[in-house]
Amino acid sequence: MILVPTMKKIAASAVSAIMAVSMLCSSAFADQPYEGYNYDWWGDPVPSQTGYVVDRVVTGLDFGVGKRYNSEAQLKEISEQTGKEVPAEEVIEEFKEPQDLFIDRQTNSLYIVDSGNNRILVTDVEYKNQFIIMDYFYNPETKKYETLKNPHGIFVRHDNNSLNENESTMIYIADYDNNRVIGCYADGTIFQTFTRPSDEFYGAEVTFQPNKVVVDVAGNVYVNILSITDGAVMFAPDGSFSNYFGANRVEQTAQAIANKFWRTILSREAAASFIQAVPMEFNNFDIDDDGFIYTVTQSKSATTDIFKKMNPAGENILINLGYSDYTYGDMASYYYKNQTYGSQITDVDVDENGTIRLLDFGNGRIFEYTDECDLLFIYGGKGNQKGLFTNVTAIEAYNSIVYVLDSRKNSITTFKRTEFGDIVHEAMSLYNLGKYEEASGPWQEVLTRDSNYWFAYIGLGNAELSQGNYSEAMNYFYRNSRAGYNRAFKQYRMQFVRDNFNVFMIIILVVIIALIVLSKLRKHFKKKKAGGTK
Amino acid sequence: MRFDLDMPAWKWPFYVARHPFEGFEDLRWKKAYNTKVSMVIVLCFFIITVCQQVMTGFLFNTSYVKVFNIVPLLVQTIILFFTWVIGNWSLCTLFDGEGSVKAICSVSAYALVPYLITQVVVIIASNVLLTGEAAFIVFFQYLGILWSVVLMISGIKTVHQYSIPKTLLAMVFTVAAMVIILFLLVLLLSLFQQVYIFGFSIYTELMYRFSL
Repeated sequence: MILVPTMKKIAASAVSAIMAVSMLCSSAFADQPYEGYNYDWWGDPVPSQTGYVVDRVVTGLDFGVGKRYNSEAQLKEISEQTGKEVPAEEVIEEFKEPQDLFIDRQTNSLYIVDSGNNRILVTDVEYKNQFIIMDYFYNPETKKYETLKNPHGIFVRHDNNSLNENESTMIYIADYDNNRVIGCYADGTIFQTFTRPSDEFYGAEVTFQPNKVVVDVAGNVYVNILSITDGAVMFAPDGSFSNYFGANRVEQTAQAIANKFWRTILSREAAASFIQAVPMEFNNFDIDDDGFIYTVTQSKSATTDIFKKMNPAGENILINLGYSDYTYGDMASYYYKNQTYGSQITDVDVDENGTIRLLDFGNGRIFEYTDECDLLFIYGGKGNQKGLFTNVTAIEAYNSIVYVLDSRKNSITTFKRTEFGDIVHEAMSLYNLGKYEEASGPWQEVLTRDSNYWFAYIGLGNAELSQGNYSEAMNYFYRNSRAGYNRAFKQYRMQFVRDNFNVFMIIILVVIIALIVLSKLRKHFKKKKAGGTK
Repeated sequence: MRFDLDMPAWKWPFYVARHPFEGFEDLRWKKAYNTKVSMVIVLCFFIITVCQQVMTGFLFNTSYVKVFNIVPLLVQTIILFFTWVIGNWSLCTLFDGEGSVKAICSVSAYALVPYLITQVVVIIASNVLLTGEAAFIVFFQYLGILWSVVLMISGIKTVHQYSIPKTLLAMVFTVAAMVIILFLLVLLLSLFQQVYIFGFSIYTELMYRFSL
């Protein structure tokens, strides 16, 4: 009965699996192709209002002609170097397996990594400006123009101390098939190239195919490589290999535990023949304004370190204080028509307010969390309609608009927040500032629109608790938050004892007196009885 | 000091609980096995398990009471108890056990009493304690379980006139016997279901044939 989370979890996941299947079967009646749902305290999916609706779906064909960012003189040189005509303007055509998106918040520009076409496309967040095509990069060292080969990731950073406007924008591109990461300025001049480190710490047989790249404020470059399980490869600002950063932990499978057991009893030589337990490599990462790095691991089966928020020392600070880690994505995978559906988190975005969005490759869904990892909304899904996806690769968000990249549909879908979503976010931002009482108005509004919205109960409970209404707080927390209930009940119990202190004392006194009297009477009767038998 | 052993039947469980070793000897000597009292205890076992599911305070309640289903609780208590009794009897009669079904039933039921009492205490305490004070609840739970296990071993030992190692062995094998019994029960149930479906399909077939 005490702290047996597994039973509850098993039951919860079983029920959630059933619910999820039934949700899949039921016909959609809303105007969205997906049904909004959320999880309640039991971990069961419950229908909920949608927080986001589809705004636009765009493909490369919607943008007509794009412009090369190279100058006339450069274009001439490129034509000479390549031996073919490179025009200043070119029809964008369809994207080809685009792999990454990046929004530069300082300039409101949107970068699309069009991997199949070996180019980077730049526009603004509302797609108003003409597209800029980046495909030829000038290398001052060789004095040649270089191209990309299947680029997978991009990161843009601003150096506001730079005098030159061109050099204040630094673009880092993970050039997957060229085995390098290039850093270039806005005009395409390469200022730094990161290639496979010759350091002996870097494994001899390990390749260097950069998948994603982020750069922190200090200029350290973190490169995510899918064949490395030790974490991201970290380069110092001068381009030298400095370390690995933020490896996942090893998943505690039965196999791993058994291996550990054998290793303790076998000799070192015998143990060496065992397969080493290796953690999952993470697939994608993002960095927020405070320098925390968020990683996600795309896996069908693993549950360890699916999502991490790491401080600069590489420690995950989102370790739950309780008995287990948080759950991300769908609570359970389910089996439907010969296919197992489960969450596989493939990308993460942290926006300017700290809201975390996880992109689920398995179900094509977006899971939106607060910076405290409280689930806000789930939207999107798998399919061919607008707002559904087949092969999601990247997510970015800006000013409450969410951009999702699909590499099979070759499209970017934008979601905009509904009124309900706005209210929840308003309440949540007040709540996270500790303004529980101010947040209670929006939370009430949330509950009138959607009484299934679990977190509203916690918000209202905290509001009542901060006002000293303990029993009301307990009512809100009941079957919604054990920690909250514990706090409210502690106060309530203290108040109850204090208010009824006289009654308690009287009862205790009466009981003591009664016991004394009873024992005296008993002795008296026993004596009498003994006297009688004599 | 000897107690007056001519007490009413309902007092025996409490007497036994207070005297884990000689209590059962007295019970056997006096032939004070009582089916009615045992049945009441088993019923209490069931009721307290239900209470534990629904009345344990929110802070300590880890059962999935969003959907309350009484059938698993019935299986966990009453059916489990009777399988234990039957399993133990059928095993121990083969191995020189002296106990009758009635004796095993009474002894097993009486042994549950400490567990039930501590469960009641735990249910009440879980409504007034905080999560930080969980140690009290854990203590009482383990106390109750331990006491009941000691009583059960002592009771089975006395009823069958076994040595302690033999008792423990018998109890382990009883658990195995219980698994077999339950397996056969499930098998039987599914077989009956098959037969029922077979009969029902013949019935519907005939109805289509003749009523049209």
